[in-house]
Amino acid sequence: MKGTSIRARLLLSLLPLFILAEVVIGTVSYRYVLNESHELFDYHLRQMALSLRDQGAVLPPPGPPEDREQFDFVVQIWSADGSKIYLSHTRSRARLPERATLGFADVVTDGERWRVYSTLARGRVIQVGQPFEVRERIAASAALRSITPLLIFAPIVALAIWWLVGQSLEPVERIASELKRRDAQRLDPVSEDRLPAEVEPMVRSLNGLLERLRRAFETQRAFVADAAHELRTPIAALKLQAGLLGRARDEASRSEALRELNAGIDRSAHLVDQLLTLARSEPQARATPAAAQAADVDLARIAGDAVAEILPLGEAHGSHIEYKAPEAAPLQGDASALHSLVRNLVDNALRHTPAGSRIAVEVAQRGGAVCLSVDDDGPGIPVDERERVFDRFYGRTAGDAAGSGLGLAIAKAVVERHAGSIELDRSPLGGLRVLVSMPRQGGAPA
Amino acid sequence: MRVLLVEDDRMIGQAVQTALRQDGYAVDWVRDAEAADTALSAGRFDMVLLDLGLPGRDGVWLLRTMRGRHDTTPVLIVTARDEVSDRVAGLDAGADDYLVKPFDLEELGARIRALLRRSAGRGESVFEHRGVRIDPSTREVSRDGEPVTLSPREFAVLEALMLRPGAILSRSQLEDRLYGWGESIESNAVEVYIHGLRRKLGHDFIQNVRGVGYFVPRTDAQEDR
Repeated sequence: MKGTSIRARLLLSLLPLFILAEVVIGTVSYRYVLNESHELFDYHLRQMALSLRDQGAVLPPPGPPEDREQFDFVVQIWSADGSKIYLSHTRSRARLPERATLGFADVVTDGERWRVYSTLARGRVIQVGQPFEVRERIAASAALRSITPLLIFAPIVALAIWWLVGQSLEPVERIASELKRRDAQRLDPVSEDRLPAEVEPMVRSLNGLLERLRRAFETQRAFVADAAHELRTPIAALKLQAGLLGRARDEASRSEALRELNAGIDRSAHLVDQLLTLARSEPQARATPAAAQAADVDLARIAGDAVAEILPLGEAHGSHIEYKAPEAAPLQGDASALHSLVRNLVDNALRHTPAGSRIAVEVAQRGGAVCLSVDDDGPGIPVDERERVFDRFYGRTAGDAAGSGLGLAIAKAVVERHAGSIELDRSPLGGLRVLVSMPRQGGAPA
Repeated sequence: MRVLLVEDDRMIGQAVQTALRQDGYAVDWVRDAEAADTALSAGRFDMVLLDLGLPGRDGVWLLRTMRGRHDTTPVLIVTARDEVSDRVAGLDAGADDYLVKPFDLEELGARIRALLRRSAGRGESVFEHRGVRIDPSTREVSRDGEPVTLSPREFAVLEALMLRPGAILSRSQLEDRLYGWGESIESNAVEVYIHGLRRKLGHDFIQNVRGVGYFVPRTDAQEDR
């Protein structure tokens, strides 16, 4: 709010406008009144001169100047021989020119501007004059009168602006204080009623953000709850296995119990690894922008490495893993994430197929995409389950294959980060086909 | 004692089965609720150890199904979810007791014994009959105050007979209590154990009705032979 207070901006921009308006109004009314008074006074001058002419010689005697000062008219009458017959004002200031132009004339005497009307009558010259200053004074006072109400009104307008801005921004203040009172857990939307139209879009976007945050938090919370629950099972197994080891009485049962305990520890470690991989792969859980991990990588090489790594496991399982990559498959991506993608898919195939199965991994370019397919000749996945297997911990129910239930969830997260798609289908080998397709170039991870 | 273990996790199932067998129980292990239902319909079990979180139909479904057909076999539920509502749902569906994962083997054993005791209508944890005292929790046996050493299977036979003195158990009923599925049964195993027990506890302690089975006479006075 600092720096650009709406209140201060309104006041600072409206008050000069107000002053400008006053200047304009003052000037306009000054000019108008001046013009009007010219006409009016000119008429007066003329009437006065004409009436003096018609009156003949009867003239008011030159009286004390104070009385006539207010009229500001000076009358001067000449005789035909040029001698001054009458001068209404004796003051030195009020001196009309010695020579007369008949009709209206503007003359300057002693630095003072006069409006003079002269007329000829029976050998006399009658001159009636008035200083311009009088007319200007009248115009000025008229102008001042016209702007006075505005001047009085100015502070009222300023106060009104202050108050109105405060009133209009009250909802903003209300929302601000409502938000201030919230803790990190409260992400329900801010009330949208009684909002001015200008503030509503802001509040609506804020509510949109809150909603997205709430959903992200919920996903995260569910994930933590799921993870804790899933960790409980291997830990329960560990506890029982340790208990068995403790009560083993002979060497054979002790080594058996130890073997089981080791397998249990391996399983727990695997689950923790998978949880970490998933946490790193999920776009919303990433602290660093995905682009930071993006580099030019070759999926063919990454997949080759991953398959080579898992090959001994396949042999131990009695299964045959084939790998085919006819050409390099360049894409923009995160090498370690793609590695875990391939590993998880092959691992998944191994876990869900009986011993002696065939697993075929292939990397190829198709159009603008890099494709990875993992085929097996196992039992496959029924069509109605194909969506759900991507859910975290779904695969755990698959009985013997003591997987973490996270493999496909990890694969999906990685693929989504690379703006690709992952599909399950029936494999030509008879089992499951997992088909991943990611943009070949310009496909920065989303 | 024959226990039906319903547990989908291989490692937990394996460990519990091993531990209970070491304690002399006959353990049958199934991995989903429907298999458990089939097993319960087909055979008699002294108790069921049931994991609530099962693939497909869950443990609560099995409980309702069992209780729905008036199967009163005691059920001890095991759950990884420790919310009160889960445990309440299990108990309300007809479970007798519960354990939360991870649990201790000793606690599991104690709860199983307590459940078996209650289902036999006994409050006390030690059985005494005609001078023979057995303590299922410590698996200690004494005769007239003198400790007697029994093998786990001899103990299982004795416990089954002493649980209801006077009741006759056939050879196959005893075998049921001794062996889980897949365990090889020697044809004369029961006779061997009975012989061992008689040697250690006195010949008259266990009697047989030829062709019917074995029993522990209720009291001297009630013997009717």
